[in-house]
Amino acid sequence: MIRLEGIYKRFGSLEVLKGINLSVEKGEVVCIIGPSGSGKSTLLRSLNHLEKITGGRIFINNELICDRKDDKSIFKPSQYRISKACPKIGMVFQRFNLFPHMTVLENIMLAPKVVKKTPQNSAREYAIHLLDKVGLNDKWDVYPPKLSGGQQQRVAIARALAMRPEIMLFDEPTSALDPELVAEVLEVMSSLALEGMTMLVVTHEMGFAKEVADRVVFMDNGEVIEENTPESLFANPVKVRTKAFLSKII
Amino acid sequence: MSDRMVRIVQILTDSFLPLLKAGIQFTVPLTILSFFFGVAIAFVVAIVKILEIKPFAVIARFYVWIIRGTPLLVQLFIIFYGLPSAGITLGALTSAVIGFSLSVGAYGSEIIRGAIRSISEGQWEAAHALGMSKVQTLRHVILPQAIRVAIPPLSNSFISLVKDTSLAAAITVTEMFQVAQQITARTYEPLWLYTEAAVIYLIFCSGLAVLQSRMELRFGRHLAK
Repeated sequence: MIRLEGIYKRFGSLEVLKGINLSVEKGEVVCIIGPSGSGKSTLLRSLNHLEKITGGRIFINNELICDRKDDKSIFKPSQYRISKACPKIGMVFQRFNLFPHMTVLENIMLAPKVVKKTPQNSAREYAIHLLDKVGLNDKWDVYPPKLSGGQQQRVAIARALAMRPEIMLFDEPTSALDPELVAEVLEVMSSLALEGMTMLVVTHEMGFAKEVADRVVFMDNGEVIEENTPESLFANPVKVRTKAFLSKII
Repeated sequence: MSDRMVRIVQILTDSFLPLLKAGIQFTVPLTILSFFFGVAIAFVVAIVKILEIKPFAVIARFYVWIIRGTPLLVQLFIIFYGLPSAGITLGALTSAVIGFSLSVGAYGSEIIRGAIRSISEGQWEAAHALGMSKVQTLRHVILPQAIRVAIPPLSNSFISLVKDTSLAAAITVTEMFQVAQQITARTYEPLWLYTEAAVIYLIFCSGLAVLQSRMELRFGRHLAK
């Protein structure tokens, strides 16, 4: 469903991604782990154009949607092509990024109404369904700043799901949460995975990776060092750098 | 001594209504009209700059640079006394409104731009990830939050404008300061009369400051502190 070929990204003189090759199949849950500065978030963000890659090709559903070299586009598909070919990609951020001036329900309904012109009633109905799914249906008229971090992140997941994405990107979804609030978010993510959502998760939660991921990718210094099933990677890391990283956190 | 005080009290009471009348007839409408047009200009300029709409962004930058770099009084003189020789003759009040609007537009655009930029990048990113365009994001996510941030500095501009309207006296608008000047010319009590005018300005501005607090409360209702 997603195929990344030779992804390079540099910020000025700093090379953050050095030729990443990665693919994610439909329904797969792939966790990306690694030390900070390894480029994991940058990689994730280049999938929905929050970062513009310097070089490389991005395929979504086998459709080439981005082809760049030396910071210039070699092939730029039309917007029409992108919107036709690209299944929706949803994203959940480390700092939630909920809209503080709207209630929880309004947060979830906004994009469908504005982007897809979904009528108020259907948008509301689906929003309530999603809130129920993440276990927050009694908070529909609350403003985000009043919620705990775990609750806010669950709302953020519901908000992303409202656009009915086929791929969900998670950028360190629990890193900004107090430890006791992490579980409720991971629970929602696990059930999403069980439903067959294609997920790409940058995380430090090794427990989650072990339980839920189909594949774990270890990145360091802008490169993919090793990737394998969680059982294999955690139990028998092959590369030295992988071993060093894992020994520090497990 | 006491005779003089009686005379002064007489002058003050006699002049109060004319001053107030000029204030209500000119100062207040001038301020409100100019601020209204000025904020409209400010919004357009700020958005043009934020979204980098070429070629308007260049014009916007030039406009802000000129207005902020030249004295308001000089701008008013150029419009009222200078333009006629280029074939454009405008009335005093019209010139005043145009001059003040352009001024509010320039400074206001920087206030609005600053307010928009103060909204965290994450808000733009979340909206982008949800498929919203820049315009949709501005409209539904950013501007509602930016307005709250912009209220104190914009209120400041408004209160400043009330006082700046006194400059219209220099281009023959008989607003409150001009009337104070006229009465002074008759009665030779500049200290008392200009102070009286100042007090009336103070009353206007104090009322506006109260309004500002109310607005800050109303717009800041739901947002995190």
